[in-house]
Amino acid sequence: MKKPRRKNGITAVLLFSLVGGMVGLAFASVPLYKLFCQVTGFAGTTQTAAATPTVASDKFITIRFDANTIPALPWKFAPAQKEIRVRAGNPAVAYYLAENLSAQSITGTSTYNVTPYKAAEYFAKTECFCFTEQKLAPGETAKLGVEFFVDPEIFNNPNTRDVKTITLSYTFFRAPGDEEGAQPKGQELTSRRQGSYRESEGS
Amino acid sequence: MSNEAAAHAGHDHHPTGWRRWLYSTNHKDIGTMYLVLSMVGALLGGLMSFLIRLELQEPGIQFISDFQFYNVLVTGHGFIMVFFVVMPAMIGGFGNWFVPLMIGAPDMAFPRMNNISFWLLAAALVLLLVAALTEGGPGTGWTVYPPLSNATYHPGAGVDFGILSLHLAGASSVLGAINLITTIFNMRAPGMTLHRMPLFVWSILVTAFLLLFAIPVLAGALTMLLTDRNFGTAFFETAGGGDPILWQHLFWFFGHPEVYIIIIPAFGMISQIVSTFSKKPVFGYLGMVYAMVSIGFVGFIVWAHHMYMVGLDVDTRAYFVTATMVIAVPTGIKIFSWLATMWGGSIDFRAPMLFAFGFIWLFVVGGVTGVVLANAGADIAFHDTYFVVAHFHYVMAIAAVFAMFAGFYYWIGKMSGRQYPRALARLHFWTFFIGVNVAFFPQHFSGMAGMPRRIPDYPDAFAGWNYVSSIGSYITFASTLLFFVVVWKTLKSGEKVAGNQWGEGATTLEWTVDSPAPFHTHEDLPDMNPQPAE
Repeated sequence: MKKPRRKNGITAVLLFSLVGGMVGLAFASVPLYKLFCQVTGFAGTTQTAAATPTVASDKFITIRFDANTIPALPWKFAPAQKEIRVRAGNPAVAYYLAENLSAQSITGTSTYNVTPYKAAEYFAKTECFCFTEQKLAPGETAKLGVEFFVDPEIFNNPNTRDVKTITLSYTFFRAPGDEEGAQPKGQELTSRRQGSYRESEGS
Repeated sequence: MSNEAAAHAGHDHHPTGWRRWLYSTNHKDIGTMYLVLSMVGALLGGLMSFLIRLELQEPGIQFISDFQFYNVLVTGHGFIMVFFVVMPAMIGGFGNWFVPLMIGAPDMAFPRMNNISFWLLAAALVLLLVAALTEGGPGTGWTVYPPLSNATYHPGAGVDFGILSLHLAGASSVLGAINLITTIFNMRAPGMTLHRMPLFVWSILVTAFLLLFAIPVLAGALTMLLTDRNFGTAFFETAGGGDPILWQHLFWFFGHPEVYIIIIPAFGMISQIVSTFSKKPVFGYLGMVYAMVSIGFVGFIVWAHHMYMVGLDVDTRAYFVTATMVIAVPTGIKIFSWLATMWGGSIDFRAPMLFAFGFIWLFVVGGVTGVVLANAGADIAFHDTYFVVAHFHYVMAIAAVFAMFAGFYYWIGKMSGRQYPRALARLHFWTFFIGVNVAFFPQHFSGMAGMPRRIPDYPDAFAGWNYVSSIGSYITFASTLLFFVVVWKTLKSGEKVAGNQWGEGATTLEWTVDSPAPFHTHEDLPDMNPQPAE
């Protein structure tokens, strides 16, 4: 009787460690997924580069700029220029203007991507305000710069050869640590939820 | 042999009253409890779908003016049917009952773990009902996508209770799976090699492995969602550097194998039943085994076909389209092997066989629409429409229910020792078959026309087919109630059946013991070594 029980125990231990391993993999997927997005430009994740390439292409590409803020952030945020034309491989600088419209100082953080997504692999930033948090005093205005280049390789990939325009988009959020973080918005929704869902339809 | 054992009452002792069930370590009693839980779940989940169809019968808002409640119904229907109806019946119920019987083992490897698997699931069901009644309940759909499921859009504790319920159900499934795998690997009768195991046992083995690989990923993702909601982490919050798409990847890495967890035990049952009632061994046994194994494997590498809309690049989509279509090969092997098993057989159209035929029809229809939906280009148009609802109800939901009914009629004689009422069972089959097809076939049309899922109202243009669909749903519901009459009549007044009620076609070991199967079976291990030819 002893022997089969031992065998069962070993099997169970192996299977439990399989389960443990899969839980580990589930959590490991978080950093792996970030890495995957950065490497492949998945979902428009742009590249980060330390230096610009030495050779520039003779072809031009149009870069458009887009800016958004979530409603909980009382900032005015807009690109300083609508679009620019750059030579692929040449570094370029663009500016965004941000203004804190509220009476308290707020820390914001932004996320960004480019469309079409497939161009992200070739869109590299050397310097960007989006790499750090931005703090604005009441009424303060800031000129936020982004330095980037488009890798000339974009014209060699048959999949991306047709790209003539790349749109760079930013969305500003309240930084997670900011005192007036996401909580007030949550509570506001809670109170709305106590009423009927249909009441809020008209708004 | 077993007769004598049963006659020695002292030998066949077991606890009585509530102790027999609450403390049960007997695989048959636990299997029975799983089946009862599944029936309770089926009534709850069925009632929810009945309410959904009642609302959708006509355009405009009829009965459910609280849209959050409608969402909770949709969510509850999905969760209950997946986790508390199909999984308990197939894996917990029939798996517990018949895996030890079919491989010649006296019980499961870990009888007490078996007990806690069941009671965790019962607790999970209670917790899910608590969730539905807490602060508006979870109206997230069974996919629980953030941001809809995060603290901003579902601030109530309902979603948290739902997450905990799934954690419990997941723990129950993992423990159950470990128990089944250990039993199948270590406790087979002498001579019962892996390649001689009945296909139902194989299907449970594959399913148990899918559970072990898939459930922990769901548990991880749910834990991340729970901490996002309550402790300020930002796994899926864009503002904090997270990404809601990551949830979809994790969820579907679990979710796609999950639908195979539901359907693979059905494959096993249908193989046993088709073989029994065709009075032929199953055609291409090894092909059937490795078809199931490969379906299980491929199931883990096709998950993103649920997310063609999130902006995958064209190469990724091309891969997932191709990989998804590959599944049609092993499933095709299974379909054709069932047909080949019937071919030239002496087919007996008993209730289990009727339901097996129903299963094959539903599975083929759903499989065909599945190949359509596998195309990323087509899926972008069909995503979140009733075409998808029709597809997955055919291919896995209703097909699984048909397999469960087939298994019920096939094995109820073994489990209860009584014959089901034949005429009523046939009536149950025909009403159910007509009901589900009237309910779900028209949804292909409304879906093709663009009707979105999970919305309680729709434009007048969709009115006709929705009306038909609701009528079908009422027929199905009535037929389900008829099933409970069948159960009651079987247990109350069914005639006694012999140990092997199906005759020469029933060749697996469970038919060598008495009906009902005695409390303890296979105490002397049967010898399955090939006997020398006479």
